[in-house]
Amino acid sequence: MIEWIVIAGLAAATLRVAAPLLLASLGETIAERGGMLNLGVQGAMLVGAFSGFMGAYFAGSLWLGLASAVIGGVLTTLLFGVLVINLDLDQVVSGLAINLLASGLTLYFTRVLFTGGVSPYLGDLFGPMPIPILSGIPFLGEVLFSQTGFVYLGLLSVPLIYVLLTKTTFGLRLRSIGEDPVIASYLGINVLKMRYAALLAEGVLAGLAGGMLTISMFNTFDPRIVAARGFVAVSIVILGRWNPWGALAGSLLFGFTEALSLRIGVIFPELSGASINQLFALLPYLVALIALVVGGRGVRGPASLGKRIGRER
Amino acid sequence: MVHQVHKGVAITPLSPPFFEGKGDSPGVPNEEYAIFLKGVSKTFANGTVANRDVTLGILKGEVHAILGENGAGKTTLMRIISGILKPDSGEIFIDGKPVRIRDPRDASRLGIGMVHQHFTLIPEFTVRENVALVLASSAWLDLKKVDEKIISVSKEMGLEIDPESKIESLPVGKRQLVEILRLLCQDVRILILDEPTSVLTPIEVDSFFKMIRDLKSSGKTIVLITHKMKEALQISDRITVLRGGRVIKTMPTSEANEAILASLVVEGMVPAPSLGRGTPGDTVLKVESLRVKDDRGRTAVDGLSLEVRSGEIVGIAGVAGNGQKELVEAITGLRKVESGVVRLSSEDITNKPTRFIIEKGVSYIPEDRMHRGVVLTMGVHENLALKCIEKPPMSKNRIIDRESMVKNAESLISRFSIKASDPCASVENLSGGNIQKLIVARELSNGGVVLIAEQPTAGLDIKASEAVHNKLVELRSKGVGILLVSSDLDEIMKLSDRICVVFGGKIVGEFVTENLDIERLSRLMLGAK
Amino acid sequence: MGANQLTVSRGTKRSIVKALLSVALTLAVTSVVFLINNVNPVIAFIYLFQGAFGDINLLSETLIRMTPILIVSLGLAVSFKCKIWNIGAEGQLYIGAMLGTIVAIGIGGGFLSLVAALVIGAIGGLLWAAGPALMKVKLGINEVITTFLMNFVGIYLVQWMISYPFRSPDTYFPESAAIPSSSALAVILPGTRLHMGVALALALVPVVYFLLERTTFGFKVKVVGENPEAARYGGMAIGKTIFVSLIFSGLLAGLAGITEVMGIQFRVRGSLSPGYGFTGIVVALLGNNNPLGVALASLFLAAIMNGSSTLAWTMNIPMGIVDLMQGLLFIFVLASEPLVRLLERRGVLKL
Repeated sequence: MIEWIVIAGLAAATLRVAAPLLLASLGETIAERGGMLNLGVQGAMLVGAFSGFMGAYFAGSLWLGLASAVIGGVLTTLLFGVLVINLDLDQVVSGLAINLLASGLTLYFTRVLFTGGVSPYLGDLFGPMPIPILSGIPFLGEVLFSQTGFVYLGLLSVPLIYVLLTKTTFGLRLRSIGEDPVIASYLGINVLKMRYAALLAEGVLAGLAGGMLTISMFNTFDPRIVAARGFVAVSIVILGRWNPWGALAGSLLFGFTEALSLRIGVIFPELSGASINQLFALLPYLVALIALVVGGRGVRGPASLGKRIGRER
Repeated sequence: MVHQVHKGVAITPLSPPFFEGKGDSPGVPNEEYAIFLKGVSKTFANGTVANRDVTLGILKGEVHAILGENGAGKTTLMRIISGILKPDSGEIFIDGKPVRIRDPRDASRLGIGMVHQHFTLIPEFTVRENVALVLASSAWLDLKKVDEKIISVSKEMGLEIDPESKIESLPVGKRQLVEILRLLCQDVRILILDEPTSVLTPIEVDSFFKMIRDLKSSGKTIVLITHKMKEALQISDRITVLRGGRVIKTMPTSEANEAILASLVVEGMVPAPSLGRGTPGDTVLKVESLRVKDDRGRTAVDGLSLEVRSGEIVGIAGVAGNGQKELVEAITGLRKVESGVVRLSSEDITNKPTRFIIEKGVSYIPEDRMHRGVVLTMGVHENLALKCIEKPPMSKNRIIDRESMVKNAESLISRFSIKASDPCASVENLSGGNIQKLIVARELSNGGVVLIAEQPTAGLDIKASEAVHNKLVELRSKGVGILLVSSDLDEIMKLSDRICVVFGGKIVGEFVTENLDIERLSRLMLGAK
Repeated sequence: MGANQLTVSRGTKRSIVKALLSVALTLAVTSVVFLINNVNPVIAFIYLFQGAFGDINLLSETLIRMTPILIVSLGLAVSFKCKIWNIGAEGQLYIGAMLGTIVAIGIGGGFLSLVAALVIGAIGGLLWAAGPALMKVKLGINEVITTFLMNFVGIYLVQWMISYPFRSPDTYFPESAAIPSSSALAVILPGTRLHMGVALALALVPVVYFLLERTTFGFKVKVVGENPEAARYGGMAIGKTIFVSLIFSGLLAGLAGITEVMGIQFRVRGSLSPGYGFTGIVVALLGNNNPLGVALASLFLAAIMNGSSTLAWTMNIPMGIVDLMQGLLFIFVLASEPLVRLLERRGVLKL
């Protein structure tokens, strides 16, 4: 019989792991709703992680680290914007280029700035911020109310972004650009400005997502910490059907998978060394693919997603 | 008298538009007129003169029909009013005040709205969202207010429109209503409709007109662009006939009838000399009761039957949008035939794959030559072999015989006088006329039995057009049956042995080019019986 | 043959200029990065060059590095020419490597083992691309998304396979058993690691050239890629062409993977590919989807990748420089088109 305490630990870990994915996929959802397939969110996360660490380390302040993480994410995403909006380059390839660039720059400067090429550890981290009273609730208290500020931020962002996309003028206009930028432009919408606004939002979220990895979860910078989380975020957007609540569900799914795989030996001693958990890792992608096949047109995403920007900007 | 040439047709110079009584006098641009145009002219970059010194007035609260054939300048004129195009000269007055309309936003602010032939609704969105998109003024979406507006405007239109429904789930006729609804929600007072009944079934047309009357009684001014005389006579208060970019006449509908309108539309038109006649033999192409849908699901070809014999040119005369495009695509295998038969000699080619139809001997010069007829980045030799690449001599066992391709290109280049620096030169370097020559060369030399030529000389200069015409006549004398689809009536008259008029997806009349009754032809093109 | 075999067409001249421009800009920006770090760019590039081509061993290593890149890129070139964006080459590569390795070990050794491995490996890559290809042709689903997702499925699947069912009993790390040494690709140059895979890769260049320029399939690929409407009008089977071009790129990606195993790595590890599937995309674009251009571009990329390890320990320049240069190259390859157009408009260039 599995004890509640183990489940609570697993659930809490799920949320912890899911948080960076959630923030990044929320950002990517916004961009893709605007018609932009930004594979460069991976690079933005990486840069966010890197600059977050750098800021915290060299300025000695976690908050400055946070600020630099956001700036790093924004600059990277805006560069993507310049490539696909102003220079009208192919979106997929531009995103991949950004990733390589980010990977190269972060690796390069890590090795160059630190002796031995390995980055040191931060003395301090953004730790859990238990909410008074609520954190005392059995089970939920540990799972939901004793998390870091980033997790709270991620969870709160879901309804906020949902409202942004569905209940504000900005959201409606952005979605119209994602469906048909020519018509949107004809109707007087400033497509260029709105696309950049969407990318700005994504940059902030991706920067936070990356930054939280270094200044809240692991207290050092190593590209392996970021791994392929940015690409995972893109997959989450597809899985979640370009919807913030779907992004939440997808992030939790991926978070669960990862958290589970780390603990499977503890929970099911007979399964440690067993193969299941590795296969868990590919399950969400398979589900995303099946969802694409089974779903109707709306499931395919915004109609103009990934298409060359062209003249209407 | 100086004769002018427009689209190859000699026309007598026109005296200033003939006005009778206040009903049609453009008079002075005062407040009685919702729109008043004075001397508006527009010439496009490629030299086409779309509007020539147009002066006309649309009275407040009237339904005004702008009637004319292809190229009369109707759509261009309305695009100027709705802010999409800027006139080269002339003045525009709205409610008696001179205005400058720089873009659709300006027009919108003046209360002008246009429903185009291509809709500007977002299919994935609901009616509510599409309307909210243009109404939204503050950061927060007030969808309740949008719904209220939708309901009140629908009432005004005499309709019931569900704000919740997604555009893509609505039939085309309904979508057009939503377009109008959206404009009315923006408090548009002057509504311009471009060929609105082209997307409607006959049943829908009646309720559509009822709605127009309802809108008129609520004070809106409505301008209707049409080429259908019947509709102009049925719904409008006044009619303006445009031809060759000019206003021929503006008159109260009460004083008009089909005969008068038809004669105005063809006024001064002289049939161009024919290029000889063919000697028709057996039937090579037979279309029986064909029914074909257009891209929007509407029946575009509606029980059409026609016949082409070997050694003859059959011209399809008609205003664009009456099913010609769909007919041609159905015959060539590019569009599904819902019912009816297409026969090549005795063989049934209905709904067969394009490759099969090409192999059986149907050649096709498409209207859209850049996007359909050639691959711009590939070479002349490759484009000339586009349709026969998978057979000898161009290839054997899937391996291309480049030498044959180049030899073929060289031969065709000289036979058809295509100006290309090299048989392998990239097609994008060729001029428009030469690209058309390339296509003509290809289609005329693959030993076909039937050739379908769609707007074969559009955009070509006189010399190039003549060259194409001569080649077509030459082909006819070799016994090929040619179906000529063109909105250039002059071309049709020059080349055809028989002329079929198409209207509303059907053949409404057939003529022999000798002693052609142009007026009757024109009337049929405009929908008369 | 035709009268103009030797004249370089305007298109080719243009793509050469674009390639040179991209390379030049990349080197320029990289130099700036070097300067910021107090490294002399000229010396750095000399070391880079030496590291790639300095002696017989280094040259062999560069050619070895080039092999998988070239094979993948040739396949992608065909797919891209059809305007089909296969970004799943990485996953197809891993699957091909795994499948081929299983076969090699299964058969047990010898030439048969090698041939079977190569064939099955290539087919593995082909099958991995078949799913997205079907989804594109039958359901109209964007191949960018599907091939992208299949990467993860493929890589994780292979990782699972080398962690559990096919894990090598001899080693501590998750990796497959080694292929029988008698099945490995033969070494061409004694004293080096240069293996027959290089010859295979180079042999594929004229094969793909022939495929694209001299077969009806290649003709159709070009028409469908440039103008699908004209392809329809011309009675060409568009769906079939798209399908075949996509699975062909999968075939070559799988082949690249198994060649890596049979020639140099001899087993499947998680680190089998440092992103060759993605590098292949840059290379295909840099080479303008032209087999010869792709060959040169692969060599260039391989030189950067290998030369930079020399840079790493002679001048203490970290390995990040490789990704950096690749990323820059990527961007400049893309930007070279608008850039060249701008220069043409300003009259600086006349092509």
